[in-house]
Amino acid sequence: MELIYFQLLAAILFCIGIYGVLARKSAVLILMSIELMLNAVNINLIGYAAFSSLGAAHKNLGQVLVIFIITIAAAELALAMAIILRLYRNKNNVNVDELDILKG
Amino acid sequence: MSAEYAWVIPGSAVIAFCLTSLFGKALPFKGIFLPIIAALLGFILFCFIFIDFMLADVSVTTASIDWMVVGDWSLTWGFSVDEISIVMLGLVTFISLVVQVYSIGYMSGDPRLSWYFAVHALFAGAMLALVLADNLLFLYFCWELVGLGSYLLIGFWFEKKAASEAAKKAFITTRLGDVGLLIGIILLFKATGTFHIPSIIHAAQNGAISESTLMWSSIMIFLGAMGKSAQFPFHVWLPDAMEGPTPVSALIHAATMVVAGVYLIARMLPLLEIVPGFLTIVALVGLFTFLFAGIIALVMTDIKKVLAYSTISHLGLMILTLGAGGLAAAMFHLVVHGFSKALLFLGAGSVMHGMNGETDCWKMGGLRRKMSVTSVTFLIGCLSLAGIIPLSGFFSKDEMLIAINDGLGPIFLFATLAGVFFSSLYMIRLYCLIFMGRSRSDVANNSHESTPVMIFPLLVLSLFGLLLGLLALPLPLGNFEGFGNFIDSHHHFHISPWITPLSLGVALAGLIIGFMCYGYSKIPHELVAMKFGYLYTLVLSKFYIDEFYQWIIDKMVLSTARFVSIFDRVVVNDTGVDGIGVSVVLSPFKARLTQTGKLYNYGTAMGVGILFMAVMWILVSS
Amino acid sequence: MSVFFFAIAAFIVIAGGIGVVAARNIVYAALSLLAVMVGTAGIFLIGLAEFLALVQLLIYGGAVVIVILFALMLTRIQDFEFLSANKHWPLALIVSISFLVLFLISILVNKRTITEMSGVDISELGLTLFADWAIPFELASLVLLIALIGAVVVVRRDNEENR
Repeated sequence: MELIYFQLLAAILFCIGIYGVLARKSAVLILMSIELMLNAVNINLIGYAAFSSLGAAHKNLGQVLVIFIITIAAAELALAMAIILRLYRNKNNVNVDELDILKG
Repeated sequence: MSAEYAWVIPGSAVIAFCLTSLFGKALPFKGIFLPIIAALLGFILFCFIFIDFMLADVSVTTASIDWMVVGDWSLTWGFSVDEISIVMLGLVTFISLVVQVYSIGYMSGDPRLSWYFAVHALFAGAMLALVLADNLLFLYFCWELVGLGSYLLIGFWFEKKAASEAAKKAFITTRLGDVGLLIGIILLFKATGTFHIPSIIHAAQNGAISESTLMWSSIMIFLGAMGKSAQFPFHVWLPDAMEGPTPVSALIHAATMVVAGVYLIARMLPLLEIVPGFLTIVALVGLFTFLFAGIIALVMTDIKKVLAYSTISHLGLMILTLGAGGLAAAMFHLVVHGFSKALLFLGAGSVMHGMNGETDCWKMGGLRRKMSVTSVTFLIGCLSLAGIIPLSGFFSKDEMLIAINDGLGPIFLFATLAGVFFSSLYMIRLYCLIFMGRSRSDVANNSHESTPVMIFPLLVLSLFGLLLGLLALPLPLGNFEGFGNFIDSHHHFHISPWITPLSLGVALAGLIIGFMCYGYSKIPHELVAMKFGYLYTLVLSKFYIDEFYQWIIDKMVLSTARFVSIFDRVVVNDTGVDGIGVSVVLSPFKARLTQTGKLYNYGTAMGVGILFMAVMWILVSS
Repeated sequence: MSVFFFAIAAFIVIAGGIGVVAARNIVYAALSLLAVMVGTAGIFLIGLAEFLALVQLLIYGGAVVIVILFALMLTRIQDFEFLSANKHWPLALIVSISFLVLFLISILVNKRTITEMSGVDISELGLTLFADWAIPFELASLVLLIALIGAVVVVRRDNEENR
């Protein structure tokens, strides 16, 4: 069991998340892919926390950061949902292809 | 020592130019007395300088003003008086004075009279400064000014398109030569660090200049002389310059400006002698021009064109003599030709005045009875240039032939003798066509003699034409032992036992044939035209040189100019200068297309940006 | 031994991830997300972070997925066919693979050599959270509050505001 396993897994999951963000047409699916990315980051941090050889304060930091990330992820999810619901109300679908009012 | 005041001569002429051009119209007589006073002053001062020079037995006097000092190098306006410049000084001041007096009559009633006299003064000032200059840069400066004066005077009647075209042609053709002169001067300056002529000659004689530099600078300087002195192939401007007023032709294109080239070569002769074989090239160019122009002069029918080609031909002869090393003989012929040709041109002007401006010889004839003084003086001029004893032309021609034989050998001598024959023939032809026989048109019938103010200069010049020959002999004036010794102390003019009779015989042969052909119509003059028809048309069209030059200009110069102008417009202006502005204005329209409003585009851009930053960070920190 | 469990959990995570991005049916995507969350919790357990595994399951598995399912319900997404990838998916693939390459390079270049895993004591975690990181903790809770209020505000209907 080495650190590199955690890091590799996190990297792969992160990349899957990026693909999902860029390649999906529905806003809800994009949101789900963002959750994937956040989870990847969490896995990475847990790995660092587990394999750290520093003092206790720094060792705990990995897990503390994970708590914060989960918190912020939840907050962001709530807001994103609100926006998606509003969007649905206006256009009756959540296809991001049709969101180009800000076109230059 | 009055030679130190030599600078007054050109200076007064330039002041006369300024005053006359600025205030001329307001002054009485349109201000024409100012340039004439300046010319008279110049001539009187020349007489003083000449007498001083003869009595003082000093060969050179100089005076100079520092104009610009840069470090340890200074640019001076220097005047130096030595034998050659004294001769030129006398020639230019006298002929300029005579021509200006003549112009009072010839140009009377012209609306721009004050400008005419003003430019005359400018030209005289520039030419005088040119012959007095002691450094090459000052000489070049005056060289260009002289060209300017010529341009202004040839194109004096600029309302006539032909005149302005001719002025342009003269300026551009001599410009080509002037470029060569400038390059030569700069080459010499690079090699010696000075423009001062005696210093340069001294350095060259001591071997301080490399051979290739000497050769190239000599070629370039000779190109400049060829341009101004209308040698082949730069001769094309001189016949066209006849569009100017006739006194202008007399002054500029017979006596003064065109001999600037001969003067330059005479000045730089010690330098040119060092380059091996160069003087032979000079002689060849001169010989070719002498024969070429002589043949063309035989078939021309316009008075002034005949005189123009005759000038080109005699200039070729002078250059040929210089190439043979006959400095004294060439200078002597320069003076003689100057007086004689000026006489002929002024006489032609008188004829044109009497003929209401007509110049075609075939419309004249029999003017001997109507314009007696003009006819006699014109005859003196013709005989002088043909080289008949005892006129001055005989002496000068004789000395030149001796010098050519001494310097270049008998082949050149016999070629020159052919040219002497042509020269005599066309001169007599001209005289006969104009003055002898019956008048061939009504205008000729009604012609009259010109006013005294025009006759008097003719008389004075013909007197000189008769008497100048005496200068070849030793005279009791100081230690003057003949013109030859004056110029070049190793040289005495003498008579050779076989060349002199031969040259006289050739000249007389030309004279007799000419009289028989054209004067008394014993030999029909259409004979040659019929037997050598093709050759005749070739010569009549001046060997198509002008057409050839025009073709070169059209094909090469104009197409290159067109290409350069298109390049300048498209590449430099539209793309380089305007392009920057246009691209700034248009770039937002293109940049706008990246703002699509679509989420995945922005997401991709963000992803790529982060990728890029991460790569940069890794590269920088590693 | 733990490598074996790690492998299983990793497999679940990755399979779920691919399911989220590639599923044809939206509910399958949501359930794959749930699988990812559970698998991640398993990974946390293997990484000796038991408390966080619990938190993960509770919040993500319990709240987040439910919220997403609610969103799916409310936006009636099953009535419409948007589940195919959009027309830029090759570019997205390229970007994600480049990220992967970047990560691989940076991971492999800076390989750590520690192989001893050690967990974190919960009381230690609590102390760190409330003593050293108290202020960020409070701020995080504030952020959460504001986000929830903001979400409510954003979603309100206009006629309710005008009452």
